[in-house]
Amino acid sequence: MEAFYLPFVEFGFMRRALAGSAALALAAGPLGVFLVLRRMSLMGDAMAHAILPGVAVGFLTAGLSLTAMTIGGMVTGLTVALLAAAVSRLTPQREDASFAAFYLVSLGVGVLLISLRGGNTELLHVLFGTVLGLDDAALILVSATSSITLLVLAVIFRPLVMECLDPLFLRSESRMGPVVHVVFLLLLVMTLVAGFQVLGTLMVVGIMMLPAAAARFWSVTATGQMILAALGGVFASYAGLLFSYHANVAASPAIILSAGILYFMSLIFGTQGGLWQVARQARARSLRLSRISRRDE
Amino acid sequence: MSSSTFFSHYPYSARRRRWLGMVASALVLGAWSAHAVSREPLPVVATFSILADMVKEVGGDRVAVTTIVGNDADAHGFEPKPQHAKALREAKVLVLNGLDFEPWLPRLTQASGFEGIKVLATEGVKVRRLGGRDTDAGHDHGSAAKHDGHSHGEADPHAWQDLTNGMIYARNIAAGLSKADPRNANYYESRASSYIARMKALDNEVKAAIAAIPPDRRRVISSHDAFGYFAAAYGVDFIPISGLSNQSEPSARDVARIIQMARDTGVAGVFIENMSSSVMAQQVARESGVLMGGTLYADALGPVDQPASTYLGMISWNAGRLVYVLKQSLQN
Amino acid sequence: MPDAAIAVEELSLGWREKVAVRDLSGQFLKGSITAVVGPNGAGKSTLLRGIMGWVTPLSGRIRLTGESGTTPAFMPQQGDFDRSFPINTRDFVAMGAWRRVGPWRAFSATERERLEHALQAVGLADFARRPLVTLSGGQLQRALFARLMLHDADTYMLDEPFSAVDRATTEDLMDLLLQWNAAGKTVIVVLHDLDLVRRHFPQTLLLAGQGVAWGRTDDVLTPENLHLARHLCAGDYL
Repeated sequence: MEAFYLPFVEFGFMRRALAGSAALALAAGPLGVFLVLRRMSLMGDAMAHAILPGVAVGFLTAGLSLTAMTIGGMVTGLTVALLAAAVSRLTPQREDASFAAFYLVSLGVGVLLISLRGGNTELLHVLFGTVLGLDDAALILVSATSSITLLVLAVIFRPLVMECLDPLFLRSESRMGPVVHVVFLLLLVMTLVAGFQVLGTLMVVGIMMLPAAAARFWSVTATGQMILAALGGVFASYAGLLFSYHANVAASPAIILSAGILYFMSLIFGTQGGLWQVARQARARSLRLSRISRRDE
Repeated sequence: MSSSTFFSHYPYSARRRRWLGMVASALVLGAWSAHAVSREPLPVVATFSILADMVKEVGGDRVAVTTIVGNDADAHGFEPKPQHAKALREAKVLVLNGLDFEPWLPRLTQASGFEGIKVLATEGVKVRRLGGRDTDAGHDHGSAAKHDGHSHGEADPHAWQDLTNGMIYARNIAAGLSKADPRNANYYESRASSYIARMKALDNEVKAAIAAIPPDRRRVISSHDAFGYFAAAYGVDFIPISGLSNQSEPSARDVARIIQMARDTGVAGVFIENMSSSVMAQQVARESGVLMGGTLYADALGPVDQPASTYLGMISWNAGRLVYVLKQSLQN
Repeated sequence: MPDAAIAVEELSLGWREKVAVRDLSGQFLKGSITAVVGPNGAGKSTLLRGIMGWVTPLSGRIRLTGESGTTPAFMPQQGDFDRSFPINTRDFVAMGAWRRVGPWRAFSATERERLEHALQAVGLADFARRPLVTLSGGQLQRALFARLMLHDADTYMLDEPFSAVDRATTEDLMDLLLQWNAAGKTVIVVLHDLDLVRRHFPQTLLLAGQGVAWGRTDDVLTPENLHLARHLCAGDYL
């Protein structure tokens, strides 16, 4: 029993790791739900790649400075997002294709910049995060970002839902549509950038998408899914850190894999369309039908 | 007087004369070019900065050294570039560490078409194997690292941290250079000998300095497991946070164990390295209350105008720093 | 003479490559109920979108008059709508109150009453808690009508509202439109079911890239006019 909480009691770095990843998960989960609902699931991953050159430039100019890398990441992330949107609006190119083009270029530039330093280990930490090495500045950044994200999400919730569900209707009622779209992208970039020190730019998408994808199997309302995704992410952080401690494996992949297990459990046992439930319903249906046909005989 | 009448007076035929002329000029050219060849420095490629410094010491001005992994850079996660392949193709000697320190090297040598002499610096070195420490058992690798060519052999490649091994390196380098350039063999041998003498002197100094500290107060924490040979040779106890390479992400258990050890036993300081991230080391220092001991030079030399920009400079800096911190903690 | 709710003067609507509506002039009178008919590609949807301000006129004007010049409530043809979005029917219909409630204001008691009334009017009171994705085609259309109703606008414009709906639902929803009109709302509906038009709509606008006829239904839907409209849309200009 003690094994479940003792590591966190004994060691400050475990508490920080939990605090940091939980704070990240609380904001990443709801954002992930919206990405899923807007059919932008892969966009999260693409966006993480788009951020890379900005972080690389920040790193190359100012070393492992949080401010520099954050600003850099935000600049490139937003540039890619807005450029892609503009291109899709002004040319026949669709948004997903233009975004793919831009983020791939962005990724290439990022890798090139990294290679200028010869594969420096510190930048690898940027890619994979150092969840066990969070210091005060990092914790504050993640918590602040998550708080802002959740607050803004609460404020724009209604128009955001409308923009996902029926954008034409929103357009006929208000001019908030594009504004809300941009604000959402801003939140996305902000969370990804804050998250890179916790889980790294490659894995932070995992804590964003996996709990969100899992939540779909438990709730039929957008709000419900958001809450479950946030809680799921927090739980995955806790479970992953515990697993890293007891099984002596690296922490950030352990967290993502816990989220993955959560997803598979939801896929199978979820009450809204989970495989087990679908199988049961199919069996019940065929039973009913066979009973009816037997009655007719 | 026309040339035809002049030559027609000679007893030799025109053809034989022409033949003589050609031989003469060939000899002159040959002597000149041989002289020029012996004047041109021997192109040598060294895989990283420490080896490069050694080659410069042994080879003097008769060699031109190109370094692949430069100062303050990390050889473990290195990605070679086209300019390195070019340098390798034009080199006559390649000096490498071996023991899996340069996982990217085989592909590079093949791609560059290098046909010179390979000098394995660690030839004849007594190799330290892993398994001496709990933290080594079950340590992990960041498996998805983009630049990770590092394979987890069980040999510790950082042999140069022990000056006795440094002497073996110097001998091997001298032998290799002599083989490629026999004309200057004596030059290389004598330079190697004086270099080794300086190493011996430093070796004695370091041993004496550390002997002044009681054996149970010689424990420190380092970022990665780069100082195994130093530890064995000079009696300092290093606890590494990461494993042999900075590529591996420590697990929560590893970190916890180190912090626990730091709290329970007496650790004098936490050291970071010049070419790697200090994040985990700072976390450990913060949580265990152990002071940050500063920077040690592990896998690469420091920048040119600093004390650790040569091999001997590096060892003496490291030793000096360690002794200073160990002495400090004695007072607490 | 009753006022015009929407007046168009020499209106041309379209894009550089294609003019959808050419030189249309006329009025939708306040409190009228008008059907807009015509062959495919006649510009009917474009006209409605032009009135909404989504397409800028190439020439001519659109004048909207109302209590405060409010925009009409518009139900476009089924488009970008994500039917599988996780939302229940009541919340979906509640979107219609946007003009009063905006992005942040809570739903007052009056608003909630209006919402219930709308759900009942379309016969979806029992389905309020159901997720949107479980509604049938006809039920979904009713929900859309309920949402439209919540606007409480002066003018309602609908583009092909009955195209994928069963007969019974069509009749019910048609009754609803007539009720709104009886309450004084101006109603404009794009349709292709001429039988429905003849039965329920006193006014009709026959469009075929340009105005062919606009006025009393019986006067407009003559065989000659319909014939002409078909030819105009096929590209044979007389």
